[in-house]
Amino acid sequence: MFDRPDIAAALHTYMQETAPVLVLHLDAQDQVIGMNDPARRVLRAGAVGRTLAEQIVDFNHTLDLPALIRQGGTVHRLTLSTASGKPETLGFRFFPVSGGTLALASLDFQEQVELRDEVLDLNRELNNLTRQLHQANAELRELNQLKNQFLGMAAHDLRKPIGLIMTYGEFVLDEAGPELSEEHREFLRICLKAATGMKTLIDDFLDLAVIESGHLRLNRVPVTARELVAGAEPIARLVAEKKGITLLVEPTDDTRRLRVDASKLQQVILNLVGNAVEHSVSGQRVWVSSRWEWQEIVFAVRDEGPGIPLADQVRLFTAFGRTGQRKTAGESSTGLGLAIARLVVEGHGGRIRVESCPGQGAAFIFSVPTEEEETP
Amino acid sequence: MSLPVKPGFDPESVYRAYLDGLLAHDRQQCREHFKQWLEADAGLRSIYDDLVRRSLYEVGELWERGRISVATEHLATAISESLLNLTYPRLFAQPRNGKSAVITCVPNEYHQIGGKMVADVFELNGWRGYFLGANTPVGDVITLIAEKRPDVVALSVATSFGLAEVIRAAAEIRAAFPGLPIMVGGQAFRWGGKERIERLPGVCCLTDLGALEAWIKEHGNHV
Repeated sequence: MFDRPDIAAALHTYMQETAPVLVLHLDAQDQVIGMNDPARRVLRAGAVGRTLAEQIVDFNHTLDLPALIRQGGTVHRLTLSTASGKPETLGFRFFPVSGGTLALASLDFQEQVELRDEVLDLNRELNNLTRQLHQANAELRELNQLKNQFLGMAAHDLRKPIGLIMTYGEFVLDEAGPELSEEHREFLRICLKAATGMKTLIDDFLDLAVIESGHLRLNRVPVTARELVAGAEPIARLVAEKKGITLLVEPTDDTRRLRVDASKLQQVILNLVGNAVEHSVSGQRVWVSSRWEWQEIVFAVRDEGPGIPLADQVRLFTAFGRTGQRKTAGESSTGLGLAIARLVVEGHGGRIRVESCPGQGAAFIFSVPTEEEETP
Repeated sequence: MSLPVKPGFDPESVYRAYLDGLLAHDRQQCREHFKQWLEADAGLRSIYDDLVRRSLYEVGELWERGRISVATEHLATAISESLLNLTYPRLFAQPRNGKSAVITCVPNEYHQIGGKMVADVFELNGWRGYFLGANTPVGDVITLIAEKRPDVVALSVATSFGLAEVIRAAAEIRAAFPGLPIMVGGQAFRWGGKERIERLPGVCCLTDLGALEAWIKEHGNHV
């Protein structure tokens, strides 16, 4: 069949133009002296005139191409350096021809099909996992909303009876106190202290539930950083002095005004100062400072306490993500303060972080981008 | 075709450019036009109906007429499927009605995008649509049904070779969950076979996404 001139001509055209086979004509020194069109498209420019060995990727320099060529009929798996810059592994067969060699190279069809199917499978799997992830995230968001609703309702309903316990407990202590023994008065004081702690916890839960439900309402007013810190300073000083801690306030002198919810940010400052004091001992200092950085106002509360291990820092701003560090006077807290601080700061479009090394104190830093109002 | 909301958005030219991208294996071009459609606020349903479904049908026809290779068809499907991920933040955030469906392809069925679009149509209609994927063993489907307790299970089959598998899978699911409605659908029914499937007790056959939506609206509240 192949002897027929018309068939030979058809095959010639096919092999020259479109066959999925690279046809390379090598001279006696294995230099490429001719190739078909597919080879011209795949190989690097300048392939003609160079030896085939130069165009084969041979990491270990162990390739003995003349020996392979002499083996003739066997298919040899060789990797070509191609015009796209990507190496391509092809099956080569070498046929001796007058004055040289004819090299025919093609991709392993079966391998290509398997590769394609595997990649398609992986792609399907990846897309399914992506879908599941989005779906799971949506379900978690729904559950979180439900949790917040439940938390909000429970906290709201608990606040009233706790308030009654505190009010009537105080009445009893005030009015019947003198008739009670000192031991029974102390029992009542313990009850009231526990009720106060519970009320703080419930208030924090409510704050958290409200903010996490996306209902954080910011009452933005124009205020300078100095005014903001000054608003929190009297209570902060009281808290610090009670424990013999020196509070040093270093506000910026910049008189530019911010548009922020002053009372919520003052809560954040007080919360951070409260934490700093709880982790300090008498005689130590706590600093509150503020400064402008580009279009942000940066507040920092720094202490000389025991510092926070790196492992604890990552979960510090999550609910109940408190550290293993003991408070210096055994103070109790709800474990929600820093989570609320983060949500308030983020509600302003800002960020909060901690810088600390164990034994070297801690600095809580938060920044708030300015919806700036220039002083007239 | 749904009316676009964003001024200047021309769905026909975006569709053509998207289809050209699919045929040219140009993922970036497709992504660009898919996002353009998404950002035009023409509605999620419009993306499913007027962009993805329409283009894949056209790709399928081109393949059947020998104008493109099976590789191009595979790649067009893969690109479309990966772009559907862009809709998910919106799709899954829609209000839910408490109903859910488990959707899967039967064993040896590797064409999954149709089944996935079925799951997404359930989501578009306020249901949760849990999709298991291509070539899923019936045992895995039964395990998920036991876990999720869906209101409906849907089996997707794209090729007529899969009909025997569908019948087998439906029987196994029926045996494990006798009261659970089963729906079957997919491209396999383009040339018939609906009657054969519907002879199975508790099984209905829906041949396209429009029929599915009609079913959800008519029967969805009663299952």
